[in-house]
This record gives sequence, C-alpha cells and structure tokens, in this order.
Amino acid sequence: MNILVFTKRVAATQEEELRITGEGQAVDLSKVPFKVNDWDNYCVEEAVRIVDKAGGSVTAISIGDAESDEVLRRAIAMGAKDGFLVETGEVLHDPFVRGELIRGFIDKEKVPFDIIFTGVQAEDDQFGAVGGVLGGIMGLPYASMVIGIDAVEKDHVVVRRELEGGLQEKVKVAIPCVLSIQSGINEPRYVSIMGIRKASKVERKVFKASEYEKGAPKIELTKWVYPPKKGGATMLDGELAEVCGQLLGILKEKGVYQ
Amino acid sequence: MSYALIVAEVRRGVFEERNLDSIGLGALLGTQAVLLVPDGAYEAGEKLVDAIVKVKAAEEVYLNPMNMGRMLETVFAARGKPDYILFTQSSSGMESAAYAAGLFGMPVITDVSGYDKEGGFFLKSYYSDKVFGQFKATGGPAILTVRSGSFREFAAEKPAAAAVDAMEGVSAVETRTFLEYVEEEKTDIDITKAEFLLSVGRGIGSQDEVAGYEELAGALKAVLSGSRPVIDKMWLPKARQVGTSGKTVKPKVYLAMGISGAFQHIAGMKDSDCIIAVNKDAGAPIFQYAHYGIVGDIHKVRDKIKELAKG
Repeated sequence: MNILVFTKRVAATQEEELRITGEGQAVDLSKVPFKVNDWDNYCVEEAVRIVDKAGGSVTAISIGDAESDEVLRRAIAMGAKDGFLVETGEVLHDPFVRGELIRGFIDKEKVPFDIIFTGVQAEDDQFGAVGGVLGGIMGLPYASMVIGIDAVEKDHVVVRRELEGGLQEKVKVAIPCVLSIQSGINEPRYVSIMGIRKASKVERKVFKASEYEKGAPKIELTKWVYPPKKGGATMLDGELAEVCGQLLGILKEKGVYQ
Repeated sequence: MSYALIVAEVRRGVFEERNLDSIGLGALLGTQAVLLVPDGAYEAGEKLVDAIVKVKAAEEVYLNPMNMGRMLETVFAARGKPDYILFTQSSSGMESAAYAAGLFGMPVITDVSGYDKEGGFFLKSYYSDKVFGQFKATGGPAILTVRSGSFREFAAEKPAAAAVDAMEGVSAVETRTFLEYVEEEKTDIDITKAEFLLSVGRGIGSQDEVAGYEELAGALKAVLSGSRPVIDKMWLPKARQVGTSGKTVKPKVYLAMGISGAFQHIAGMKDSDCIIAVNKDAGAPIFQYAHYGIVGDIHKVRDKIKELAKG
C-alpha cells in the first residue's frame, strides 16, 4: 500500500493576536511561530500505522517555500520513507490551484500511489477543500471527515466519517482514492529533536512548482478584514484577585454558585 | 435562466436547519432560487424558494459526493449551469462541494459567512475567525459552502409557492457505498444537562494541567467540558466535547477558559444564558460572543478562583 500524505507548514496563531497591515493587503505573521498543520500530523501517523501493518510505504509531500522542509523531516521522523517538496514562494489560497498543481506533479513525476491522504483542513486558510477538489479533478472516489479506518484491503478501505452531534457513518471506498483525515483519529507519536535530526540525513527531493501546470486561480482574495463586531463582552479589569472576585460574584448572581 | 442552485442537506430524514442559511444567501444573491432535495416527507422550505427539484434518491445515495456529481449533471442538462451552487458548511456539504468544484472545474469558496452585494465579494474565515478574507469568484459560476447561522434571517417567504419538479435518480456509484450509521457510545456524563459548565481549550497547554481544572470544577460545583483540541488530544473523553461534532449545550453559565472560539465551538454553546471567557489573547473571537471577559493567564485565574472559593 503506497500512501501519499500532504503536509503543510502553517502559522501557529492560536495564542497570537493578528494584525492586518496597510489597507488590508496582508496579515502580519512576522512574529508568529510556524509548525506542522495539526490535521496533517494525524494524517502522517495514520499512514505510517497502515503501512506498518499492510506493507508499502508513505511518501510525505509538502507544497510551500524552502522552510516547509521542516514538516517533511518531521514526517520522516514519524516513519515516512520519502519527503518531496514542491517548492513555491507563492501563497496558494485557491484550493483549485493546489489541486491542479498536485495532479500535475503526480502525473509528470509518475508518483505511484494507492491512497492519497490530506488533512480535512489547514489551520491557516481553513478551506477544507483541497482533498475534494483533487478527487474531482482526478476522478477518484473521495471521503472526508475520516475519523476511523476500520479495514484496509487490497481494493478497498472501510472508513468511518464524522458527522454532526457525535454521529458517524461507515462507508466503503474503492482504492485508489483520496481520503481527508479528521483530527483526533489517532494519537500521533511523539517526535524528539534527536529523531528529527536523524531524519534530516534522509534526502528530501525538491521539485519546482513552476514545472507543473496549475492553471489560473478561479478566486481572488481582494482584502483582509477583522471579524465583524458582535455585541462584545463586558471586560473585567483590575488586579487578579479583584477580577476573580467579580467573576465569583457573577456566578452567585446567576445562581450557580453559593 | 440565471439561478442559484441550493443543495439541501437531509440527514436521517431531517431537513437540516442550516439549509435556511443557504436559502438566505441565495435570496441575497438575487437570482432565482432552485432547491435540490431528495424526495421525502419533510417540509423543505417550499415557500422560501422559486423552484424545488425533488430527486428520487435515497438519502445515503444523495449524501455521496460522486453521486451528487451525477445529480448535478442532470440538473445542468435540464436547466443549464447555475450562477452559484450553495452547499451547507457541514460534514456532507464540505465534501460534495469540493468534489463538485474539482469535477466541473468551478471556483470554490468555503465557510462563507458574509456577502457584500455591491462589491460582489464573500467573507471567509482564516485562522479560526481571527481575520477574514474577502473573496471574489473570478473563474465563472461558483460553488459556495455556507456557514450555519450566517444568513437565515434573509430567508423570506415568496409571493407564490415553489414550482416542484420531480427528477429521476441517478445510478449510484460503486466506488463509495454507505454501510451503516455508528452512534456514539452512551456514558454516565451528560454535559447537556449541566447548569454550569467549565469548559477548557487548547490554551491549558498540556495534559498535566487538566487535574487543576478538574479541581476548579469541583470547587465551583461545575461540570467539566472541553473544545475539540482537548478531546482530540484525549485529555478529556469525547462525551465532554462541546461543538458541532460534539454536544450542543445551553447551560445557565458557560465558563470558557483557554478557548479561542472556533466557529464549530461557538455553534455548540452560543445559546448559553451567560458566557464568561478567559483568554490570553484579547483578540480571541470568543470575546465577541461572551457576556463577560477576562484577558489574562488562565492558570493564574484558575488558581486565584480556587483560593477565593475555599476562603
């Protein structure tokens, strides 16, 4: 079983206050740390577990700038055999452009595969669409929100898809296929600095994205804006003890704490 | 004919409420609204759209991206290609929308939560709602997925009842087939019954910190719940997850600590009577929905409340 896993290096913005620059031209990420996209980390783990049992190999592929090599080293440390960087300095917002580029790359480089894994979404753009677009472009069966892989056979997989409100659906998907993996599907292994250092000895191949057809973007990002203001909270200000005292007061007033 | 095709989501015989947001955005777009729905016995917004196409397909066949592709082809053949195709932003909508975009070579913008008619652009979340991108579809008719709760107030009754068309089902693909539904395991804890929830998120930092929040919940007689990242990391069991893929809760008080407020989480708790948020980042989206907010180190707030509660 040959599994291609797409992994993306993203800005870790959870704890950061983001600033839009100029008249909405850009989001300032200069002081923000970068990391592997959470969903892709689950993807790599799931792929490695499958080939550990079924045989075959995992190839990690990243589309991005030279720094994205970092997530490939990480994937190799987790058990991927190869790491391919499809290098581009451009930020590709359009999932269609990403999908076309992936198809172009796989076709031209004749990359063999049985299953393609993508994360359900990337933490930065949250499009959640590259896997589906790729399935549609390549004419491969597709399933997203995959929260469990129950069986891997020669010609099909049985997966569970996460629906709303705790419900799941079990579906059978023919191989070759594209699957988008949901976070929480497994417990990704810990990767040590030593492990990553060792992985850097494995050669990662670099390809230039400009070598492949990706077509013209079909959507255009015209401007960045801050979220529309809703009501907004009454902020409790002051010393720590004072603020916490106010909080307890609110709990008492609402009748949930005596 | 210029029209917007609204692909309705029906799951287990229920016409999902979030379809109203697709219908609402359809109304704002100002074209004829045509609703695609699997034939069945439910109210399907008959008065809110101009036409309804009822396809003779079982729900599980309909909620399959490859079958949906075939159904859309049939609709295109009968009515021409629409100006927009609207799906719900949900586990099924996201899947079928993206697949159809690839199949038909159409632009796709997901998780649309705003529309500016003058500029013709759509608002889409980035970085868990910390900023939004304004997008324009430049490559012809576009596929959109619509965020639940964003446009339903624009769904308005039409003067005339919708024209109803029956459509034959398509032959279902064999490359992906539905096997069965799997229900969540029953547990003793039911966070939907709690009057006071203390909910923790990614901001707690590590599993070692969970015990401290369990103690705080004990001191306040609150029930402990969490957001998706905490459940994914298995710091808390799935039964305690608040959000679209977990539970929808409406307690008297919802105290959120270290939760930035991703939309999927907000959707699961926004109707709580009183929301109090504690977060390090003053720009965290959760403060937009909270009644009270504290900007600060959540561990320090935790320890201080514990100390005061004892005293």
